[in-house]
Amino acid sequence: MPTKLKKSLIYWAFLSPLVVIILFPFAVMFVTAVRPRDELFVYPPRWGFSEFRWGNFAEMWVKTNFGEALFNSLYVSVLSTVLALVLSIPAAYALSRYRFRGKGAYRTFLLMTQMMSPIVLVLGLFRLMVAFGMVDNLNSLVLTYAAFNMAFTIWMLQSYFSTIPRDLEEAAWIDGASHLNSLIRIFLPLAVPAMAVTAIFSFINGWNEFVLALTMIRSSDDFTLPVQIYSQVAGRYQVEWHHVMAGTVLATVPVAIVFSWLQKYLIRGMALGAVK
Amino acid sequence: MASVKIRNVEKSYGSLKVIHGVDIDVEDHEFVVLVGPSGCGKSTLLRMIAGLETISGGDILIGDKVVNDIPPRDRDIAMVFQNYALYPHMSIFDNMGFSLKLRKRPRSEIEEKVLEAADILNLRPYLGRSPGQLSGGQRQRVAMGRALVRDARVFLFDEPLSNLDAKLRVVMRTEIKALHQRLQTTSVYVTHDQIEAMTMADRIVVMNAGRVEQIGAPLDLYDSPANLFVAGFLGSPSMNFIKGRFRRDGGRAHVFCDDGTALPVPAVSDAANDQPVVVGIRPEHLCLAKDGAGVAATVDVVEPTGANIELFVELAGERVCAVFGERHPFRPGEKIALTWKLEKVHLFDSNSGDRI
Ligand SMILES: Nc1ncnc2c1ncn2[C@@H]1O[C@H](COP(=O)(O)OP(=O)(O)OP(=O)(O)O)[C@@H](O)[C@H]1O
Ligand SMILES: [Mg+2]
Repeated sequence: MPTKLKKSLIYWAFLSPLVVIILFPFAVMFVTAVRPRDELFVYPPRWGFSEFRWGNFAEMWVKTNFGEALFNSLYVSVLSTVLALVLSIPAAYALSRYRFRGKGAYRTFLLMTQMMSPIVLVLGLFRLMVAFGMVDNLNSLVLTYAAFNMAFTIWMLQSYFSTIPRDLEEAAWIDGASHLNSLIRIFLPLAVPAMAVTAIFSFINGWNEFVLALTMIRSSDDFTLPVQIYSQVAGRYQVEWHHVMAGTVLATVPVAIVFSWLQKYLIRGMALGAVK
Repeated sequence: MASVKIRNVEKSYGSLKVIHGVDIDVEDHEFVVLVGPSGCGKSTLLRMIAGLETISGGDILIGDKVVNDIPPRDRDIAMVFQNYALYPHMSIFDNMGFSLKLRKRPRSEIEEKVLEAADILNLRPYLGRSPGQLSGGQRQRVAMGRALVRDARVFLFDEPLSNLDAKLRVVMRTEIKALHQRLQTTSVYVTHDQIEAMTMADRIVVMNAGRVEQIGAPLDLYDSPANLFVAGFLGSPSMNFIKGRFRRDGGRAHVFCDDGTALPVPAVSDAANDQPVVVGIRPEHLCLAKDGAGVAATVDVVEPTGANIELFVELAGERVCAVFGERHPFRPGEKIALTWKLEKVHLFDSNSGDRI
């Protein structure tokens, strides 16, 4: 056992620079968010502060209209994830199970769309949404996020679907199941881990997206969290840094905690899905 | 229960033809084994009966009804897959009851049928477990159980024992045969193991490269194989083949090998003098000759198997295997003489490979 302990100590020593880089912004965020306003700018900068002000969060919530932005972000992320999954699952199933003309070309096309940055397309997308009459409407974000995520979700789902043995569905057909029935009772339950992973990926993409949200949404009632927080910084005479930081803490930490907790179940789910 | 008729069935994948017009009649209650080397199209044929592959030509009839365009779920068949294909997210009970559940049978009936099948297969203690928690042999029995609860008209098996160890394979072989004797369900069983075929089948279908070589009862095929392929495929150790030319003199006949050795053979009327033939003799039909008679041979390798001694000798320039029940102390290099009963000798035409 001591050698095992030594080993893990060495691994952690190697990992520690990375850990510091990742945790540093969170630390700054946190200590700024909870200190009193007049201790924001002291020279030289200090980690410590005189008073722990949880009240900053409550103040921020009201002043920045945080609740509404949170709702908008949830709305866009959840709906775009659902839309992307609903459309990707049949596409991925077809890619992994059927032979059809142009399958290779379709795959290449999916990959190619991933090589383009959304920023390049932002102008075109904006004009498209103008034509649809959807500017300043959260649904425009739902559509574009789902569209941008689909290439990845299809690719990801397809590679997992291919690991689910065909025999299982064939056995179900012989047992008397229709195609739809075998899909619902046999195939999809086994594909849950892959669907969960892609859903998380898609959700986080929507949650963090900034450029498209900034472009499409005009009125502050419809701002998503990143845009709302940005609007607290950009174009202001006086930036309330402790509120900005309280906002970023609330926008990032809960999501990170929820997903690291979910991940435990995901891994268990993958182990359950194993056939042999 | 029902008969299965396969009428001139063909299968192509694109331009690649893998089944070339196969005709097989499986009678009601019969246990038919499809056997052949790897890649000969056994699984493909079985999957066409199941409806999992489309049929490129010909007809398949189950119970006198053409099923070419009927989907698997309406064919009323049950199938045991090579890797069992148990549903990993369901309990053993649910695995076995799935087909009844799909047919919307009442809970009490499902329970009764599953328990009945579980008792036959000794699976009662495992009904609450998931497939991942069972050993290979237990999974195999669950796969059987899933077929049993169905009362299907035809059972299809695709190499169900090939993932088991040798000992368990022999046990399950007997169990499947006993089960068939009890239930009498028409069965088509695919294997590449000729011993499984010999021991289990009412009739064997020997396939090779997408064609049927011979159909018949196991011992008929063993005793009078239609051609070199069937002769070499059935039996272990397999039949010895020695090439030569047929020569008749009076009421007797010999086959002369290239090195001049003369092998006594039956004086069949269908063979012409000097016709190139292949002599086939099973290892167990070779005996030690007494008093300087017989054909000379040199002992190469001696392999005692416990029950028998397998002897590899050099005879007429070919390596020949002989099996003896009695424990004779052979030594490598020893000169011996072998003889055989004429009626045990098979003659095949060298060119066509057909039996003469
Ligand atoms: N989807 C496919 N596309 C093209 N060729 C195929 C396909 N499936 C099978 N084949 C070919 O058909 C032939 C028969 O295959 P099949 O699986 O029936 O063999 P088998 O007799 O069951 O062999 P084994 O004992 O190894 O299982 C093989 O030559 C195989 O390469
Ligand atoms: Mg096969």
